[in-house]
Amino acid sequence: MNETLSNQKTGETTADILTLLAEMGQQFAATHDIGSALNYAIEHIARYVGAEGGSLFMLEDDDSHLCCRACYGEVDIVGVCINADQGIVGHCVETLSSEIVRDVKTDHRFHKGVDEQSGFVTRSILCAPLSVKGESFGAIELINKCSGDNLFDTADLTLLSTLANSAALAIANARMAEKLVEQERLARELELAAEIQRSLLPDGNEGLPVWGANIPARTVSGDFFDYFEMDDGRIVFNLGDVSGKGMNAALLMAKTISLFRCLSKSIEHPGRLLGLINTEICDTSTRGMFVTMVGGIYDPATGRLRISNAGHEPPLVRDVHGNYRSLPAEAPPLGIDPDLTAKNGFPVANVDLDGGSFYLFTDGVTEGYVGEGEMLGSDGVLKIIDGSIAEDISVQLQRIVSIISESGIALRDDLTVLGISDGPPKACRSETMRKISPPDKLVTKDMKKCDILASIKTCSSPDRLKLIRNVVHDGAAIAGFARDIIPDIVLAVDEACQNVIRHAYDGRTDGEIEVALYSDGGSLIIEISDQAPHIDPATIKHRDLDDIRPGGLGTYLMEETMDLVQYRPVAENKGNILRMVKTIF
Amino acid sequence: MKTKIREENGALIVSFEGDVDLQSSPDTRKALLDAVGQGKAVFADLSGVGYIDSSGVASLVEAFQKAKSQNNKFILISVSENARRVLELARLDKVFTICDSISDALDT
Repeated sequence: MNETLSNQKTGETTADILTLLAEMGQQFAATHDIGSALNYAIEHIARYVGAEGGSLFMLEDDDSHLCCRACYGEVDIVGVCINADQGIVGHCVETLSSEIVRDVKTDHRFHKGVDEQSGFVTRSILCAPLSVKGESFGAIELINKCSGDNLFDTADLTLLSTLANSAALAIANARMAEKLVEQERLARELELAAEIQRSLLPDGNEGLPVWGANIPARTVSGDFFDYFEMDDGRIVFNLGDVSGKGMNAALLMAKTISLFRCLSKSIEHPGRLLGLINTEICDTSTRGMFVTMVGGIYDPATGRLRISNAGHEPPLVRDVHGNYRSLPAEAPPLGIDPDLTAKNGFPVANVDLDGGSFYLFTDGVTEGYVGEGEMLGSDGVLKIIDGSIAEDISVQLQRIVSIISESGIALRDDLTVLGISDGPPKACRSETMRKISPPDKLVTKDMKKCDILASIKTCSSPDRLKLIRNVVHDGAAIAGFARDIIPDIVLAVDEACQNVIRHAYDGRTDGEIEVALYSDGGSLIIEISDQAPHIDPATIKHRDLDDIRPGGLGTYLMEETMDLVQYRPVAENKGNILRMVKTIF
Repeated sequence: MKTKIREENGALIVSFEGDVDLQSSPDTRKALLDAVGQGKAVFADLSGVGYIDSSGVASLVEAFQKAKSQNNKFILISVSENARRVLELARLDKVFTICDSISDALDT
């Protein structure tokens, strides 16, 4: 074949050139490596035209540079880059025209840079652009004719132009094929990402009274939800929506859901938890992305729910009588204002479900289309819930999801739902049900391994509260709490002691109250014990903050300021023990 | 805890000094309700409150509601940092009218 090629201009030019073009086309079509096909092309073109050397330049770096990607001849300049407007090559690419510099000595356009780098002596140049449909993406340059006076003539230029045109077409096709392969690879990677993302969501409720679903509008989703059961039977859950829908949203979703899952194992205050995630997202988030999210804890034993809402669509609470109320966000989305992560994090709302149910959505649900130009809307959601309230929570939510996803209209946004259905109302809960309290995770905590910071035993009289406050104040300081956190801890203990005086002892002042402070290094554990008649924690009222009235605030303040407030199981007639935990961070 | 009452420009200023807790809140409650009962604007000066608990907050809420039912002003003035923190925790900082000074309270 090489012999045929070197026989240029000996009578069989047309046949030879056709052979060369066919071979070149085949090389590009068959190869997965454009680089080797380019080498083939430049070598054969240079030999066919009878040049000493040749190089093939391609536009790169956003078309700002022309880089040599293949060459033929004594000097190897592969990798050499010049500015896109430089030299004869630059001129050819820019003007889409072929050029001949018969003698470089007499042409000012010749760029000496490459010669200086390579040591090659250029005498004569041919250059033709590589272009398809009027757009050039490179050029072929041939240097020094082998025969005669070593200078090219216009016949050579015509020949090179023809060859370059064909080469351009072959290269463009090969590049397109390469792009398709790349797109296919990306699609496969996206599918893998979606698979990983699905694995981040819970895959079944395993008998828990909570259910959730996520249907992405595209392959990957910016929405998320999660729930899991803690050792003590309480259920931690969340649902959120990352701004945007593409891969960037999916990555931030993965980060947020992982942070939540990890942190929620040690921080049981939803507001503080969201506060920490806010800091983390603010620290590292880019391009103004943010996350709207609701995080919370639900206790199936008491029907109590604590949530924190960061800029998310208000969750719905449906009581046993079918009345709805929504819980609007009291804080902006995560990732917007790092200063919001105050010491107590984002605001928390407490809800007594008392036999009712709780629903969380992303706007893909309320703004989802159920017919031509018809959105489901909040009213539509309520109607579906009311119509299926006798069914399991999963059935209720599946109905909501399917009415949108099966409407025949393409999803505009990811669809995500989560719901919790509380057991029978407290009044109907049997005594036995109430007594089957989940294993108390704190009971397993070995208090002997904790340092005792302080302990005070005194009588159940209001005039001893100041004494208790002073002990707690100093104990919390020893534990290492910041000066602005200590008053919160003091308040929580004071409120707990007031409850003992007012409710457990019913105002009697001759009872006994003991307050003990322990430290396990990372957190402060406070135990408040009394010898009063046993009180069922499930009967302790929590005040609804929307209801502005005097009293009933104490328990709320304790829960608002501490990470955990929990009554410990105590043998009958042995009084009550309340344990509160506050983590130092 | 010490309670002082004085009148200024037609408003009763009830100021507290010390801890408003379960022990002292009955006095706090009585002082506030008595003042509101006189049918005048009442300003509760909390600048000297080192500690306030839920029972103290409850006294403020009760006085506030009584004054409201009588269409009288009930304003918290010079709220100390500790007291403000508890009001915020209880989300009552948006419910009460809170002013920095008596003259601001008179202007409302």
